Amino acid sequence: MDIGQIWDLIILSPMINVLIVVTGSLMDNFGLAIIALTIIVRLVTLPLTTKQLRATKAMQELQPKLTELQKKHGKDRSKLAQEQMQLYKESGVSPAGCVLPMLVQMPIWIALFQSIIRVLAATPEGFLNLARHLYSSWAQVFSLVPLNSKFLWLDLATPDRYLLLPILVGGTMWLQQKMVMPRTTDPKQQAQSTMMLWMMPLMFAFLTTQFPSGLALYWVISNIISIGVQYYMTGWGNLLPAAAGKPAGRDKKYIAHITKVEEKATDYDDVGADVGADIGADIVEPGAARKEGEARTPYPTSLRMVKRHPKKRKHPKRR
Amino acid sequence: MSFRRLIGKILLLLVMLLVLISGVTIPGCTDLQAVPRGWSGVVIADGALFLGSMDGKLVAMDKSNQDRLWPDVLFEPKKQTGGFGCARSPEAVAIYGTPTVTEELVYIAGYHGKLYAVNAKTGALRWVYPREDYFAGPVIGGPVASQGKVYIGSADERLYALDAATGDLAWEFETEDKIWSTPSVDGDTLYFGSFDKKLYALNTADGSKRWQFETKGAIASTPLVYDGTVYIGSFDRYLYALDVSDGSLKWKFLAENWFWARPVVDSGVIYAGSVDGKVYALKTENGDKIAEFDLGSPVISSPVLADGAIIVASEEGKVYSLDITSNQESRTANQRQLANLEEKIHAPLVAGNGVVYIHSDEDILYAVDTKSGVTLWSLSLKSE
Repeated sequence: MDIGQIWDLIILSPMINVLIVVTGSLMDNFGLAIIALTIIVRLVTLPLTTKQLRATKAMQELQPKLTELQKKHGKDRSKLAQEQMQLYKESGVSPAGCVLPMLVQMPIWIALFQSIIRVLAATPEGFLNLARHLYSSWAQVFSLVPLNSKFLWLDLATPDRYLLLPILVGGTMWLQQKMVMPRTTDPKQQAQSTMMLWMMPLMFAFLTTQFPSGLALYWVISNIISIGVQYYMTGWGNLLPAAAGKPAGRDKKYIAHITKVEEKATDYDDVGADVGADIGADIVEPGAARKEGEARTPYPTSLRMVKRHPKKRKHPKRR
Repeated sequence: MSFRRLIGKILLLLVMLLVLISGVTIPGCTDLQAVPRGWSGVVIADGALFLGSMDGKLVAMDKSNQDRLWPDVLFEPKKQTGGFGCARSPEAVAIYGTPTVTEELVYIAGYHGKLYAVNAKTGALRWVYPREDYFAGPVIGGPVASQGKVYIGSADERLYALDAATGDLAWEFETEDKIWSTPSVDGDTLYFGSFDKKLYALNTADGSKRWQFETKGAIASTPLVYDGTVYIGSFDRYLYALDVSDGSLKWKFLAENWFWARPVVDSGVIYAGSVDGKVYALKTENGDKIAEFDLGSPVISSPVLADGAIIVASEEGKVYSLDITSNQESRTANQRQLANLEEKIHAPLVAGNGVVYIHSDEDILYAVDTKSGVTLWSLSLKSE
């Protein structure tokens, strides 16, 4: 059994059959089925998504520190690596945390893509390919295929000729990217982020003009869910202009806690010390930042919080 | 650091895009939204073989020496607008339906949505339908000619009856979904299935409906009319036997996957190949299963009766001879592998004078002896 067969057996075939059955239970409406399955898949992988978002955000927050380390130990590689590891360890952030959950989710997304395309088969060859995946014990699956590909103004098997979907896909993706984008004053990083901000949405908008609109529907729904999750985790983030004193871009769950900590933070200055007192110079003192009405780098408070209330970071609901 | 990070980010982005694009395009373009390739069978007429090649040509050859009767007729693909990937226009017209031949003309339909009538003696194009433009949907089933008319179904949900000599529209009949089925004519009744799950029986004179029978799945297969019964396989995995007079159900038989191939009847036994990889031998009178032959891969290609045995090809390219011998006490099912062409086979089989003609997915035409399984000759239809 090669990898393709295993993939078909444990991921693709179940997904295809579920997609068909869901269509059957939603008044034979394949568009609704795509939306429903997208939501289900996103819900199932929600823990992974939140984990990834947290890790990414924490990484962003660590960034100024890492830059500092780089400046300080730039010449001594082993020392630098050591310090970086130390920093990751102490802050509870793992660089793998940003990528791993995404890698785990990718096969599921791809399977969903593939099953949508397969179910929408148009040619005889496509149909035969689909027949292979149908479960012989599920009688209703056979009565439902081929599915009706009409949904709203779309034929889900062909690209959207009114170009509404490409705009929706690009737009939602841009919004989502904008929300995640780290706030930074470094022009290099800004240029980078701007490139990322525009490249992916444009790329996907273009792809949408080429692929069956069933896929695009999946992208739009998936992006909207991402935006929702992102909002729940961090608020509007970078989408709103930086407001003075507002904890923009911060995990909402922690805001109350952090604010509390900040308010009685007379002992603030010593806290960062054990994490990286040597780079303390760069840390904007939160209280001061507020007084001056500037946007703060959110990093120091979070770090302090982690340092101080490691358990609460892990189980915020216990509060 | 920032430079390194930039490189890292770009790399990560590239990898992500690569994974995404490959995940989307590999199933999308290579094996599914794939450019349709076609699987025309062969028709034998007057010592000649006619078939549609996979590069969109009508080929006519002498049966005895495989010389071309006339230069292959190449059909012009439909021009499509669209960018890269799945939307690219096909390089050749796919031909799924086996051509049909009358005394004078060969009829052949292309997936792009046109029906052609070509002079069988010279290869000159006589007429084309629609005259301008195309059918509003692809054509998968083949044309059928009978009593001065030619019939063709299209994925535009309509069945067309045309004047066989001129290509003028005689009548058309609208169903509720795509028609992929090749129609069958018996007397003055036309039978065909549609994706709307129904089998229709129409009056050939004016296209009025005699009766219809609804199954629980789409119908892509070709009906077989034999001895007062219409046999039709459906995507609901049943093979139905219906009375020709009123479409009432005589019996039905459940397999494990779709029936796509047209069945064949021999001495009171119907042999029906299924996508589940088996050929079922059933009693024509009541549908009781006599035997099942396991071919190990789907049966898409319609089997053929030759010298008292059923010749059938599995998708993976194995050709079998099946028959049932019976004495007073029992029946014995015999399954014998004739040949292994090691090429995919979807096209229906045809046999004549102890030779079965098989058009493989590699666009090679094989002539195989129905008794010994020896390949008498093979010929690639690909253009040089």
